[in-house]
Amino acid sequence: MKKLKVLLVDDEMMIREGFKRLFDWKAHDCEIVGEAADGMEALAKIDTLEPDIVIMDINIPIISGLKVIEISRKKHPEIACVIVSGYDDFSYCQQALRLKITDYILKPVNYEEFGKCIDNLKVSLFEQRVSSPNKPEKQEQRVIAAITRYLREHLESEISLSVLSEEFHMNPQYISQLFKNEIGVGFLTYLTSIRMEKAKSLLLTTSLSVAEIAEETGYNDYRVFTKVFKKTEGITPSQFRRS
Amino acid sequence: MIRMEIALFLILAFVAFVYFSAGRKHTLLHKTFSELLIVMLIHLVFDAVTVYTVNHLDTVDRLFNDIVHRLFIGTLVLAVYLFYKYIAILVEEETGKQRHLDIAAKIYLAVAELGVLLLPIHYAVTEKGNYSDGIHANVCYVSMVFYLILCIGTLLSSWSQMDQKKKMAIGVAFIIEVCVSVLQGLNPTWLISGMGLTLMTMAFYLTLENPDILRAQLVEQKMSMLYMKSQVNPHFLYNTLDTIRIQAQLNDDKQVADLLMRLVDFFRLSVKVDRQMVALDDELELLEAYMELMCYRYPELRCDYDIDPDLGGVLVPNFILQPVVENSLIHGLKNKGYRGRVCISAKKSKKDYRCMELEVMDTGTGFSEETKEKIKDLLLNYAKQAPKLEGNSIGILNVQKRIKLLCGREYGLSYTENEGGGVTAHLLLPISEEGWE
Repeated sequence: MKKLKVLLVDDEMMIREGFKRLFDWKAHDCEIVGEAADGMEALAKIDTLEPDIVIMDINIPIISGLKVIEISRKKHPEIACVIVSGYDDFSYCQQALRLKITDYILKPVNYEEFGKCIDNLKVSLFEQRVSSPNKPEKQEQRVIAAITRYLREHLESEISLSVLSEEFHMNPQYISQLFKNEIGVGFLTYLTSIRMEKAKSLLLTTSLSVAEIAEETGYNDYRVFTKVFKKTEGITPSQFRRS
Repeated sequence: MIRMEIALFLILAFVAFVYFSAGRKHTLLHKTFSELLIVMLIHLVFDAVTVYTVNHLDTVDRLFNDIVHRLFIGTLVLAVYLFYKYIAILVEEETGKQRHLDIAAKIYLAVAELGVLLLPIHYAVTEKGNYSDGIHANVCYVSMVFYLILCIGTLLSSWSQMDQKKKMAIGVAFIIEVCVSVLQGLNPTWLISGMGLTLMTMAFYLTLENPDILRAQLVEQKMSMLYMKSQVNPHFLYNTLDTIRIQAQLNDDKQVADLLMRLVDFFRLSVKVDRQMVALDDELELLEAYMELMCYRYPELRCDYDIDPDLGGVLVPNFILQPVVENSLIHGLKNKGYRGRVCISAKKSKKDYRCMELEVMDTGTGFSEETKEKIKDLLLNYAKQAPKLEGNSIGILNVQKRIKLLCGREYGLSYTENEGGGVTAHLLLPISEEGWE
């Protein structure tokens, strides 16, 4: 797994310093390649540095963060964007959703929990690679694509590494390593991530009860589901549905 | 005729009673109006007396008649002067311009009062009735005209800057007074000068000096102050706190960073909630942020939660738990040096499955007999309590009022005493249909 290139955009030096020094980028296979303090600078650096991930403040001088993403989307549709904002405002969330932002986090940023956000980014970058039209060349890439497809199709049933190892006739350790190498996150993190993704879409698009959604996404006990959901999303499923 | 004066006196006396018994600010304007009310009351007494004496010239002593006449005209001139003064102060307050005609008004007042004292009085006797005329009686007309000119002089340059309501009050008062004065001048036996002045006083009272309007203005001012205070731009607040937090963490001060993080959480949650009803989860989140901070400040304070997970999505009135918990801390646990426990629980009611009961139990010092009665009375007769902006028990009174208003009269807040000390607050609330189970 190659290192992911990260561009930091925030008009406050202190916030950029915090991101740079208080989060362990190395441990998450990332590297900060540049910083920008306003919208113009951000656009220029996105062009020259070609980052994989952009961490973007909304309220920045000259061009707003959302506008920067909108413009750069045309040239670099593959960049994963994280909005970091003090604007706890639904209208921004809506705009952010329309721009296919990968994640939306609120200031103050909890650096211990920021790793979860990076994991999400990796998963979504991987999903992008899998769904892109050009065929993977390496054997490993084809295998992980097959495994993740299988996971998606069997989300509601009980899955573990041993189930996968039986299904694909591979050593569980090897599969675990494959996840780390190809996606950058562990098997369980990946599974939880796609389960939560499905839960969120079900919460928004259907009127199924929380217990039913828990079952659909492979949790027998909705209490466990609620706990996991609250831990990853910061709010309970019912709060998510209402907002 | 005398009956009209008595009626006018009674009306003004009633107005004065209402005006003086209401709380008000002691500005120069209100003080002038108070003086005006008193002078008008005295004036109406002499008005009534002279109406009688002037028509009984043969039975009433001439000297007595003269004295009451001089007092009658004297108070009339004084009242007209006060009208001028009131309008001049009003204009000054409104536009900020100095009252440069005041000296002329005062000099004239002195001269006119001297004239009232010394000039000879003549009584005209007619078939329709008697009245005083001649140079002494004309002092009132001259005064009226003089102060009218002064008022117009004051108003002329400032008219466009005046508030609509004040313009109307002054305009109406002038029209009434001019009409009444002209009528009185043409029909000297009508003796209606008192009516004109009373109506003018009433015009000012109703539009500008009404205690209810003044109180409403006062409350509005206070509210907007409170609002301003609470409206420090929240983004400024978060961003600054966040900068401090990051600096603390960069300095390896994890504890300060954590505390600041929780504080920001609390602010964010309390500003975010602008709806009347919120989910119990949201309400508890705010409470947790608050309690974490309090427990950090007072390490021997503990907080436990026992929440039925099925109730998380139930809608409750916004901001009802924090004031109750705050009360437990400030009035119960503070006296024990913040050593103790607060336990917050949410359960379905055993008696009625459509209700739930939130409880805030503390191990504080409990109520004294006196407070127990006071709180009980406060919560029982919540509707009678005047709305307060600050002070004791405003929190729980507010909680009680909002629950009753938003959920229904059968729900609400009550307190019981624990066997082992401390009190428990019970909040009985409906389980609304929005619950996700």
